[in-house]
Amino acid sequence: MAALTADDLAAIASRIHDQNASWIRVGMSTCGIAAGAERVYAALEDELQRQGAGVQLKKCGCLGMCAAEPLVEVNIAGMPRVIYCRVDEACARDIVRGHVCGGKLLQDYIIDMQSEDAS
Amino acid sequence: MITKTVLIKDTTPGSTSGTKEFFDVFTAALRESKLADEIRLVRAADIGVYNHGIVLKILPDNITYANVQHHDIKRIIGVTLKHGNPIKDLLYQPRAYQLRLVLKNCGRIDPESIDDYIAHDGYRALSAALQAGPDTVIREITASGLRGRGGGGFPTGLKWSMTRSTPGNEKYMICNADEGDPGAYMDRSVLEGDPHAVIEGMLIAGFAIGASQGYFYIRAEYPLAIERVQKAIDQAHAYGLVGERIFGSDFSMDLEIRLGAGAFVCGEETALIASIEGKRGTPSPRPPYPSVKGLWGKPTCINNVETLANVPSIIRNGSAWFSRIGTENSKGTKVFAVTGKVRNSGLIEVPMGTTLRDIVFEIGGGTASGKRFKAVQTGGPSGGVIPEHLLDTPVDYDNLQKLGSIMGSGGMIVMDEDDCMVDIAKFYLKFCVDESCGKCAPCRIGGYQMLNLLENISRGNATLEDLERLRLIAKAMQKASLCGLGQTAANPVLSTLRYFEDEYREHILNRRCPSKKCTALLQFIIDRSRCKKCGLCARSCPEKAITGDKEHGYTIDTARCINCGMCFETCKFGAVERN
Amino acid sequence: MDQAALETARTIIEKWRPKKGNLIMILHDVQDAFGYIPPDIARYLARTLHIPLARIYEVLTFYHYFKLQPPGKYKISVCMGTACYLKGSPSLLQELKNILNVEEGQTTKDGMFYLESVRCLGCCGLSPALAVNETVHGTLTKSDVIDIVSQYAKEA
Ligand SMILES: Cc1cc2nc3c(=O)[nH]c(=O)nc-3n(C[C@H](O)[C@H](O)[C@H](O)COP(=O)(O)O)c2cc1C
Ligand code: FES
Repeated sequence: MAALTADDLAAIASRIHDQNASWIRVGMSTCGIAAGAERVYAALEDELQRQGAGVQLKKCGCLGMCAAEPLVEVNIAGMPRVIYCRVDEACARDIVRGHVCGGKLLQDYIIDMQSEDAS
Repeated sequence: MITKTVLIKDTTPGSTSGTKEFFDVFTAALRESKLADEIRLVRAADIGVYNHGIVLKILPDNITYANVQHHDIKRIIGVTLKHGNPIKDLLYQPRAYQLRLVLKNCGRIDPESIDDYIAHDGYRALSAALQAGPDTVIREITASGLRGRGGGGFPTGLKWSMTRSTPGNEKYMICNADEGDPGAYMDRSVLEGDPHAVIEGMLIAGFAIGASQGYFYIRAEYPLAIERVQKAIDQAHAYGLVGERIFGSDFSMDLEIRLGAGAFVCGEETALIASIEGKRGTPSPRPPYPSVKGLWGKPTCINNVETLANVPSIIRNGSAWFSRIGTENSKGTKVFAVTGKVRNSGLIEVPMGTTLRDIVFEIGGGTASGKRFKAVQTGGPSGGVIPEHLLDTPVDYDNLQKLGSIMGSGGMIVMDEDDCMVDIAKFYLKFCVDESCGKCAPCRIGGYQMLNLLENISRGNATLEDLERLRLIAKAMQKASLCGLGQTAANPVLSTLRYFEDEYREHILNRRCPSKKCTALLQFIIDRSRCKKCGLCARSCPEKAITGDKEHGYTIDTARCINCGMCFETCKFGAVERN
Repeated sequence: MDQAALETARTIIEKWRPKKGNLIMILHDVQDAFGYIPPDIARYLARTLHIPLARIYEVLTFYHYFKLQPPGKYKISVCMGTACYLKGSPSLLQELKNILNVEEGQTTKDGMFYLESVRCLGCCGLSPALAVNETVHGTLTKSDVIDIVSQYAKEA
C-alpha cells in the first residue's frame, strides 16, 4: 500500500464512522480473557447469527472494571448504551435475544461508572 | 413506547435484597401512574456509587439520584419521569470523577484495527507534529507540564530537549514497558487496549529528539500486549506511518520490540539499556545519563508507556488544555491500578490532586469485605503505606513523597485489618532482595540483613534495638546504593515503621501479631465443640502433627506443629482456632 | 544433538543475526521452541555467534524467565504479586505443592506439570490468579485449584 498522507486520515475516519450504528463490544484484554471473554464472544457471535441480527460485534481492550469482567457493551439504535458485567455464555445469548432483538435491558447485569471522557 | 430508563441499585453496605424491593415498589407505582409502558426499570449490578443508599440513574437524561427513599418515588415520577426536570435535593453530587485521557480509547476501540484508531483522531497529532517541527513539539510538551509516569516524575519536555541537544546523528527512543511493580498493570492495559496511541507517542518523541530507531521493551510475561503491539507496528508500517519518510516527510523511524526476561531491575533505565544490548541487566552509575550516553553509547530517551500515551492528545489539544488539569506541579491525570482488598479492583484514571480517600472509597467502593480499612500502598516495592488519617491527601508527586511513599508507576494496593504491616514490609523487602542484581554492596547486603531482622520480628525473636538497626541500615541503603532499586528498597519498611510502629512493638514485646498473619506467633488448637471429626485437617497437615480418628475427634500436637496454618484454612467448620 | 533441533536453532539465529544486541531475543525464541534452553543449543549458539559460553550462561542465569531444565507439559505459574499475595495466593501455591507433590521450580514425575511462582501476571483485578501456560485463571479459591489441575490432566 502507498504511504498515507494526512488527508487519508479523514477518509479512513469517515468510512469507519459510517458503519457504527449498532454494535456490541467485548473487552478482550488479559483480564477479560481470563474471566472467560472468549467464550462470551463466541456465544454472542453464534447467537447473533442464529437470530440474523445485523449488529457489528467488536473486540476491544479493557474498560478498567477488571473485577467485573467479562464486560460487554451494547449500543443498539433507540436504546440506552449500557455495559453488562460478569457476563457468561447464557447471559450473552440473553443479551442478543432480549436486548438486541427484544428491545429489553437485562436485569441484574448492568454496570455503570462515574466518569468523564475527555477529547 | 419507552421514553426513559431507570437504573436502580441499593448501595447500602451489606444489603442483598434492597434493590429488588425498591424495584418492585417502583414497578407498582409506575403501573398506578399508567406509565408502565413508557418507563423501563432495570436493576443494575453496580452503578458506580457506593454507600449512598438506593441510587437511581435516569437515562437518557443522565440524572443520578442518591439516598432515595420509597416516599420519593411519587416525586420522581411526577417531576423527572413525566417532565424531565431534576429534583435538586436528591441529586447525587459525586466527590470524585474519573477523567479518562490515557484510557479514553481503552475498551472503546478495537486495538487490532489501525482504522479504528484513526477514526478516533489517531495519528493526527503525528501529522501535526511533523508539520510543526521538533522545537515546537518540545515546547508544547514542556509547557504542558507533563512529567514521567514511570515513577520518577521527571519533566518529559526537559528530558526530550536534553536528548535533542546532545550532539550526534544516531539517537534512540525507548518505551519502558517493563512494568515491574507487582500488583500493577496500567501499562499492560494501555498496550493491550490502545497500542497505537503509544506508537504515536513514540514517533512524536522520536521526531522531537531526532531518533530514527525506537524500541519497545516489554516484559515477557505479557504475551497479549506483545502480540498487539507487534500487530500495531505492522499495521502502521503498512500505512507508511512507521518506517521511511513518514507522511511523506523527511522523518524516518523504525520500531522494534525487545523482551524483558523477568528481572525487576531492568525497569531501571541503565539496566534496561544493558538488557536491550543483550547483556545482564545490571545498572550503571549516572551520570552519564542516557540522554548523553545511552543505548550503544548514543543519546537515548526513555519514557514510560503512560507518559507516551499522553503525548498525542497534548499535541492535538494543546498544552494549555492539558495543564488546566491537575495540580500546580503535577499536571494531567494518573492511571492507577487499585487492587488488593478493595471492592472494585481495576484500573481508574483520575485528575492529579484527587484525594486518596476519594480513590479508595468513592471510586473503589471501599474494602471488599466491609472490614476496616488499614492502609493503602503506593509505589510498589519502592513506595510506602499511607494510613487512614492521611487519606485526605491530594495525590501528586510531591505530596506522596512527603508522606514517605512515592507516586510510582500507579500501583495502589488497599489493605484491611487482616493485613499485618510487618508481613507487608517483609513481602516487599523480600521482593527487592530477590531482585537485587548484586552489583553494589549496600543493596545486596543491607537488604539481606534487614530481611533477617524482619524475619526475627515476625517470629517474636527480636528486641526493640532491632527497630533502630532497621532504620540505620535503611539509611545506609538509601544513601549508598547504586541505583533506584537499592535506594528505595527500604521505603516499605520505613513507612510501615513510621505509621505502624505499634504493630512492630506488639510483635516484639508481646510476641503477638494483631492481624494474625505471622503464623509463627500463633497457636493452633481444635475446638472440640465445633469439630465434625471429618479428618480433613489431619490429612492436610504436612508434619502429621494432627492425630485422632473419626470416632474420637482430632488434636494438634503443639510440639510437632510448625504453625503453617494449613489446618486452619482447610477446616470447613471453623473448628481450628488460632490465637 | 538431533538435526531438527539444530535446524530450529539455525533459523532462529539467522532471523536475529542482522540485529544488534540480539542474544536475549535469540534465547527467548529458543525457549519458545524447546520450552527451555538445552545445553547443546547453548553451546551451538556460542560457537555460531562467536561468544564465550560463559557469557551466554551469565545472561541465562541472571534472568528468572529463562529455564535450564525442561518444564512439564503444563507450566503452572502462581502469581505472588502483591495483590494476589494479599488475597491468598500463598495458600494456592501450597495446595498445588500438596496436589502435585513438587516444590517450586520442579516438574512432576510424569512430566505433566511444572510449578513456579511468578511476580505479577498483570491480572491483579482478578486476584488471586495463576496461569497455566499462557491461560490465566482468576479470582480463585483454594478449592478451585484441584479442578484446574484435573481439567488439564484430563486434556492431556
Ligand atoms: C528499580 C527500578 C524499577 C523501575 N521500573 C520501571 C518500570 O517498570 N516501568 C517504568 O516505566 N519505569 C520504571 N522505572 C523508572 C525508569 O528508570 C525511568 O525513570 C522511566 O522509565 C522514565 O520514564 P518516564 O520519564 O516517562 O517516567 C524503574 C526504576 C527503578 C529504579
Ligand atoms: S498481583 Fe497477581 S496478577 Fe498482579
